[in-house]
Amino acid sequence: MSASVARPRRQGPGGTSKLVPSLLVAPMVLGLLAFAVYPLLYLLVLSVSESLLGKPFQAWIGLANYRDALGDEVFLGSLRRSVGFALPVTLIELVLGFAVALLLQGSIRGGHIVRTLILLPLMTPPIMVAVAWKLILHPSGGLLNAILGDLGLTERPVSFLGSSTWAFPSIGLADAWQWTPFVILLAFAALQALPEETHQAALIDGASPWRAFWGITLPMVAPALIAIGLIRLVMAFKLFDLVYALTQGGPGFDTTVGTFQIYRTALDQFDVGSASAQTVLFALLVSLVTLPVVVLRDWALRRFA
Amino acid sequence: MSTLGATIRGRERTGGRAAARPTTGVRPRPPRRQRSWRGFGLGAVLIVFLFPILYLALVSVKPQPEVLSGRLLPSRFAWENWPDAFRSVELLLFLRNSVAVAIGSAALTLGLAVPATYAMVRFNTGGRGLASFVLSSYVAPPVVALLPLFFLLRWARLIDTLPGLALVHALANVPVAVWLLDSFVRGLPREIEEASWVDGAGQVGTLRRVVVPLIAPGIVAAGIICLILSYNEFLFALVLTYRPETQTLPVGIALFQGDRLVQFGQMAAASLTGMAPVYLLALFFQRWLIRGLTSGAVK
Repeated sequence: MSASVARPRRQGPGGTSKLVPSLLVAPMVLGLLAFAVYPLLYLLVLSVSESLLGKPFQAWIGLANYRDALGDEVFLGSLRRSVGFALPVTLIELVLGFAVALLLQGSIRGGHIVRTLILLPLMTPPIMVAVAWKLILHPSGGLLNAILGDLGLTERPVSFLGSSTWAFPSIGLADAWQWTPFVILLAFAALQALPEETHQAALIDGASPWRAFWGITLPMVAPALIAIGLIRLVMAFKLFDLVYALTQGGPGFDTTVGTFQIYRTALDQFDVGSASAQTVLFALLVSLVTLPVVVLRDWALRRFA
Repeated sequence: MSTLGATIRGRERTGGRAAARPTTGVRPRPPRRQRSWRGFGLGAVLIVFLFPILYLALVSVKPQPEVLSGRLLPSRFAWENWPDAFRSVELLLFLRNSVAVAIGSAALTLGLAVPATYAMVRFNTGGRGLASFVLSSYVAPPVVALLPLFFLLRWARLIDTLPGLALVHALANVPVAVWLLDSFVRGLPREIEEASWVDGAGQVGTLRRVVVPLIAPGIVAAGIICLILSYNEFLFALVLTYRPETQTLPVGIALFQGDRLVQFGQMAAASLTGMAPVYLLALFFQRWLIRGLTSGAVK
């Protein structure tokens, strides 16, 4: 993105003006002001007020909402769970997706079919993803319980989504099913972009395929992989739909992530002031966690690309 | 990041579509045993990614008692689940709402993003600051915009209306569209536009008659992806609409599946009905989709 503006400033020959491009950009800028800047400012103002969904701005209460949020174990727990979900899920999807992309690389016809069909999980509305996995994981009659029972691994059906141990991994499973294809497609494109010659040269020089992979292929795709991971990390923090449809944050608060807790504060308890303070803290946390990955990506670009 | 994108695009331009490139000429064909392992692996990948969809199809024709007993194959096909699903959920209404919002929002997104991307790439309008502003508005979690937009729409009397939801989806997807279109605009040879300027067409005329037709594949890809993003979106749709007349399919199905007494077969049938439009779109436009996704995102 940033490169789009790095090219030297050059105006076209006669007949082009600077005014027209500004007018072309203006509607989008207005839209994004309404969608990104206004909400942020409004949120900051809401967060220092006592506000209900029906009646915002009843009183100015300073930082009380922030103090409450930072003293609220449920909210702090939800922040921890957001990080505890986003980081491992991103890593797992990245590793699996890259592995499949490597597999696809050697097969031309089969690879094309696979790349077309894995679009389906990616394009499925997340709520429908949740329905499918809810049926698979269901304690009475779900596919997984039927299989485990037939194999004699479990004596009675396990309620995966109702169990403290399994609820979060189940959500992660549904998420990985939907988003690993995204990683596969992008990692495959990155692999295709590598110059074939260096890899061949290494093999001819007597390097084993294993050494050639670790020494040449992996470092060359590393910047792309980290960039893909960054996109997934950002998205994983947005997790909401699967929690809403699979567990409603339960059992207890075991799968209540930041977004879901904010939703609950605002739309179940109507406490919009507190929810706003929580949102600001959540956004800070997301930036804090993604920033090192941005730095890592830039480092990898300088180092390998 | 940008250099990598450039390399990928460069390869695409010289080598044609990645999959169609005859790599066999360069790379020696792997030995037979390795190939069969690869085929096995690809088969396993396909099974993993397709079986939940197939399972959903299977459940949609199972009688309720057999779902609960946990037998895999139904003893008879309970086709009645399908019409029953349409009776218990207002699927057609939700479908209509979803499609209307998706088409309206995607059209608006493109209307905002195409001219803006063109100006940003070609005339460097807004500079580096605007580019990172567009990107950062995508990175922020949507929940940040949720409450302020709720109050904004209520003030504008657009809360709980389809145009209101379409507007929100349109703005939410603008950064994605800009991101996707960027590489297509950048791939245009500058000379064509300069010739058009010399011929006396203004910048807007050049955009309309020269640039838009040339980046049509990018516009199609961005349009499809925005359609699907809007169709699938849940959080805004859940909070910004609350009557069945304005609810979209994901919201309708999420509320339906929250019912305790829900029939699994009907739920599966309803979900498949909601998935069908995106699947048709995805399979029909797969070439554009894959190209759009990969050219936009890895850079």
